[in-house]
Amino acid sequence: MSTKSLDMETQLIERIVRQRNERITKAEKKASEIIESAKEEVERIKEESEKQILSLVGSEIRAVSDRIVGGAELEGRKMMMLSRQELLSKVFEDTRGRLVEIAGGKGEEFNYEDVLIKLIIEAATAIGGEEFIVSANEKDLAYLKKNLKKVNKQVTDALGGGELKLDDDPIDVMGGVVMRNSDGTKTFHNTLEGRLVNVRSRIEAQVGKTLGVI
Amino acid sequence: MSVERVFSMGERLQRLLDGAEKEAEAKVVEAEQKARDMISKVKVDVERRRTMAQRGYGIDELLKKAEEKATKEAEKKLKDYKKQAEAIKDVPEEKMEEAVALVLKEVLPK
Repeated sequence: MSTKSLDMETQLIERIVRQRNERITKAEKKASEIIESAKEEVERIKEESEKQILSLVGSEIRAVSDRIVGGAELEGRKMMMLSRQELLSKVFEDTRGRLVEIAGGKGEEFNYEDVLIKLIIEAATAIGGEEFIVSANEKDLAYLKKNLKKVNKQVTDALGGGELKLDDDPIDVMGGVVMRNSDGTKTFHNTLEGRLVNVRSRIEAQVGKTLGVI
Repeated sequence: MSVERVFSMGERLQRLLDGAEKEAEAKVVEAEQKARDMISKVKVDVERRRTMAQRGYGIDELLKKAEEKATKEAEKKLKDYKKQAEAIKDVPEEKMEEAVALVLKEVLPK
């Protein structure tokens, strides 16, 4: 066999092998595309099915969501409410502190003696009648004892009559008075702490608005 | 090169090509069959799941997913509320003073 013939033979074999490989590669590519396309179709079918199932069991899923998210919503609102309450309590605690200062004669803006007289007049007006028994704390009682004549005059001027008598037993209050009529049928609590409690229940929302938390 | 040799080699090469053709066809046929199987299997599966869901069975996974999603949402909500709750307490001093003055005015007799 000549060298030329051998070369031709080799070239022919190489060409045929190349053709073979190309056919296989082409087929493999096509097969791979078929599988990829099938995978996409499988995903599409699954997604479609998920949607159908979701619409079938939507109410149960919503119930699960409502239970969990609703619970968090409730807890969150409670958290907010507690924060507001904490803040409001701080305002009323601070006010209480200021009242203690005022009742101790340390309030610069307020004259406690004037406050006390006004509380007495207010209580006497509410009770009505001519004679009143006044209970107060030790310090206020001492002041009233010392100035009873003057205080009585102020009450008379304001109410057009009436007489105060002092209960010798001091009561444990921050300030203000507890007053009753002479036969003890009517009592009026006009202490600072009592008024603070009443005010809280009355204007808590207004205080919240002032603080900008409601 | 003898004539016999040329024929013999020609036949062998043709066989090689024929074999490749068959192999290629087989690969495609196999892939098509596999694709059909995949699709028919998933169709059977989703139909089974759909039927079960209609009867209220086999939805545990969906409910679990919904629960996980809701839990994440709930955690985010709580985090937001916590932030807001903290912000509520962060009131400027002058606002606090204003509020105390308002209460004081109401407590003390006029």
